[in-house]
Amino acid sequence: MTPGSPTESGRRRRSTARHAAVLLGGAVFVMWAVATLTFFAIRLIPGDPAQAILGGPGSQASQEALDLVREEYGLDQPLVVQYLAMLGRLLTGDLGSSYALRMPVAELLADQVGGTLLLAALSLALAWVLALGLSLWSTGRGRIAAAVGEGIELTAAALPHFWLAAVLIAVFATGLGWFPPVATGTPSGLVLPVVTLAVPLAGFLAQVMRESLLDALQQPFVVSAQARGESTAGIRLRHTIRHAALPGISLSGWALGWLLSGAVVVETIFAMPGLGRTLLQAVTLRDIPVVIGVVLFVALVYVVMTVITDLVARIADPRLRQEAAR
Amino acid sequence: MRAAPVTRRPLGRSALIAAGLVSALALAGCQADEPQASDEPVEGGTLVYASGDAEPTCLDPHVGGNYPQALIAGQFLESLVSRDGSGEIVPWLAESWEASDDGLAWEFTLREGVTFTDGTPLDAEAVKVNVEHLQDPATQSSTGYLAMGKVERVEVVDDLTARFVLTTPDSALLESLSQPWTAIQSPAGIARGMEENCEAPIGTGPFVVDEWVKQDRVTLVRNDDYSSPPADAEHDGPAYLEAIEWRFVPDAASRYAALQGGQVDVIDNPQPDTVAAAEESGAFTWLDAPRPGASNRIELNSGQAPFDDERVREAFIRAVQVDEGIDALFFGTAERSYSALSSVEALAYSEPSLFEPDLDRANRLLDEAGWTGRDADGTRLKDGQRLTLRFPVSTNQSIPAEQSLFEQVQATAKEAGFDVVIDLLDLSSWYGRLFVNEYEIVSAPYTKVGPDVLRILYHSDSITPAPSGYFANLAQLSDPEVDALLTEAAAEGDADARAGVYEQAQQRILGGYYLLPLYDQQNGFLLDPSVRGARAMPTVSTPSFHDAWLAD
Repeated sequence: MTPGSPTESGRRRRSTARHAAVLLGGAVFVMWAVATLTFFAIRLIPGDPAQAILGGPGSQASQEALDLVREEYGLDQPLVVQYLAMLGRLLTGDLGSSYALRMPVAELLADQVGGTLLLAALSLALAWVLALGLSLWSTGRGRIAAAVGEGIELTAAALPHFWLAAVLIAVFATGLGWFPPVATGTPSGLVLPVVTLAVPLAGFLAQVMRESLLDALQQPFVVSAQARGESTAGIRLRHTIRHAALPGISLSGWALGWLLSGAVVVETIFAMPGLGRTLLQAVTLRDIPVVIGVVLFVALVYVVMTVITDLVARIADPRLRQEAAR
Repeated sequence: MRAAPVTRRPLGRSALIAAGLVSALALAGCQADEPQASDEPVEGGTLVYASGDAEPTCLDPHVGGNYPQALIAGQFLESLVSRDGSGEIVPWLAESWEASDDGLAWEFTLREGVTFTDGTPLDAEAVKVNVEHLQDPATQSSTGYLAMGKVERVEVVDDLTARFVLTTPDSALLESLSQPWTAIQSPAGIARGMEENCEAPIGTGPFVVDEWVKQDRVTLVRNDDYSSPPADAEHDGPAYLEAIEWRFVPDAASRYAALQGGQVDVIDNPQPDTVAAAEESGAFTWLDAPRPGASNRIELNSGQAPFDDERVREAFIRAVQVDEGIDALFFGTAERSYSALSSVEALAYSEPSLFEPDLDRANRLLDEAGWTGRDADGTRLKDGQRLTLRFPVSTNQSIPAEQSLFEQVQATAKEAGFDVVIDLLDLSSWYGRLFVNEYEIVSAPYTKVGPDVLRILYHSDSITPAPSGYFANLAQLSDPEVDALLTEAAAEGDADARAGVYEQAQQRILGGYYLLPLYDQQNGFLLDPSVRGARAMPTVSTPSFHDAWLAD
């Protein structure tokens, strides 16, 4: 098979188009399913959305006020009608208005998304650096290094965010005074939240990276590189790092979603504005449009990241490109 | 995740080391920080306040009306009257007031020369607009709406005289008007519509809302033309502080860490262990400010079995032991209450002897009431029914120490044969449980200025749910005599007579074993020693920074 021959490129284009169609269809399905599940799930838990609008749970609002609100927000309609109305709005790209904050959900998300995405992106980057460093260091270096590496990974991956945050605050904020315990919008305020999110994630990533590194180190091409007189460091940096990175890349889509859920805890502890806190408040208040807005956004991030990691994996691994063309 | 059990032990140890390191450093820090004695207020500076209460969804306390709104609204809105430390109602925006002989008309004379921060003058018309705003369903008011329940209308007598016309006499009118939920706002501000007014209400207070960055902070700047402090304030004229940065820091440990690190100057809602540690170290000032209204208490649902039988109610109250738990879990910061009312209420009546634990008596009473059988767990039985008490607990309202106390209640009640089933719930689910009457015991705070809170909590009218499903009489106390006493007290214009009737009502309520008082609604503030002159308002215990200043 000669790359560039007419039949070959045609087939590849068709396959790419089919691949894209499948991805897009899947994405639409996922978004619809998420919106539907969230809409009905939040109504299964007790709590009246009309009260969210009238000052939160335990409101003693008058019947007139309740009626007014139910009518204004369509809460007096049957559930199915409300659901279809929501789908209709979503199709036109309208996320609706927050019950509690009385502002468009899109505006609310736009205000909060930057902080959370920055937090998640920095944490993902740091987790990658930590995981790659740890797995490169601990493989092919004998049993002790392997055991130490594995121990660090398992411990890190098992650390709950709330606990890690508390310890980091105790040591680096209260104890040493290096970083503020409450985020301030300055770079130094981001350090502890980012480390809190990155360390457990690095544990997960390093575990899968080390597995594939070990695999790669036993491949014939490593032996031949050694035979050519390549140094250990050279082999790692030039040959095996791609193998280590592959599962890490495919996990990154999942990781970003995981980070967004971790943001609920971290944003609360470090008092940072963001989507996590928005979601927590919205669930507490039964602020349905906001809950659906945040959940849809996170789902969108998952979907987009899956596509991106899929593409990046193709770049990092030539075998995947050939598979697609076959 | 699968490695968690293996890693737990070493992690626990490092936590101890970290904690040790922290306390050592904290001690070292406080010795170096001895404040210089100087009592001359200093102008300027920004005070950083970290609030653990939920971030309000609207800064106008007329809308909805909850405690987080009251906390911050007190910085920029003011009420017609206030209350001083001894419980006396004192002038604020109203200079004086007089009730008609039949108690159906109250004339308030407003302070002269006061303007809202948008330049609108404070006049009788403004008062009228505010009451109408509270009563308008479109405002979606809950707390303020209830407080104005007996007000039929407000008449403008002249520029500075507003007449409140009532449907029935209301001895709690002044107390109701002292609350932040009925504060007076600029009519022009209200006219902007709810969306805009929620972002930055306009009042007459010592500070002005400058900016609200959602989930982060509200910036308040000084009102340089301020001229209307309440009668019990330390000084007249504008605040000393230039600005307040009001931050929302939901995590209690982070709040205290931020205070220790000097990142913030004042925190609210400190946990009891933090208060005890801070007091012991002497590094911070503890401003104890129990909330007014009801005490924190466990209510016994007398509306259904088994607590429709007074003997079973008394048996429960005699069986449980809370004193040791309160001491241990609250580190000596909470004092045991024997009253339905907060200790800040001058008319609170206490009766410790009713709440003395007596397991033998509890057992005897249960035997008499027919709960004679026992199952394998030791739970009492009657006609095949287990003596089960469902106890929904709101994790939003009960701090961890209180949740632990409830576990001790559970353990001690078990000795008499009660099976207490605690259910930890979020606020909406918790209310949901109460609305469908699925509880035998429950603890719910209620903050209100004055003893009229008793009518809300224990008058049989309060068993009928509001349209939202809410009802305040969680003990479901239905006693015509209590009703009569509470109605009489609410209409009694004479202070001494009113006090007497409230005492009778409380004796009757406590004597029926409908509730187990625990302690005041815990509330307070930890201040950096550089913060001077701050106080809690004797109305609903929200902080006031009009007299506050920052020492160097």
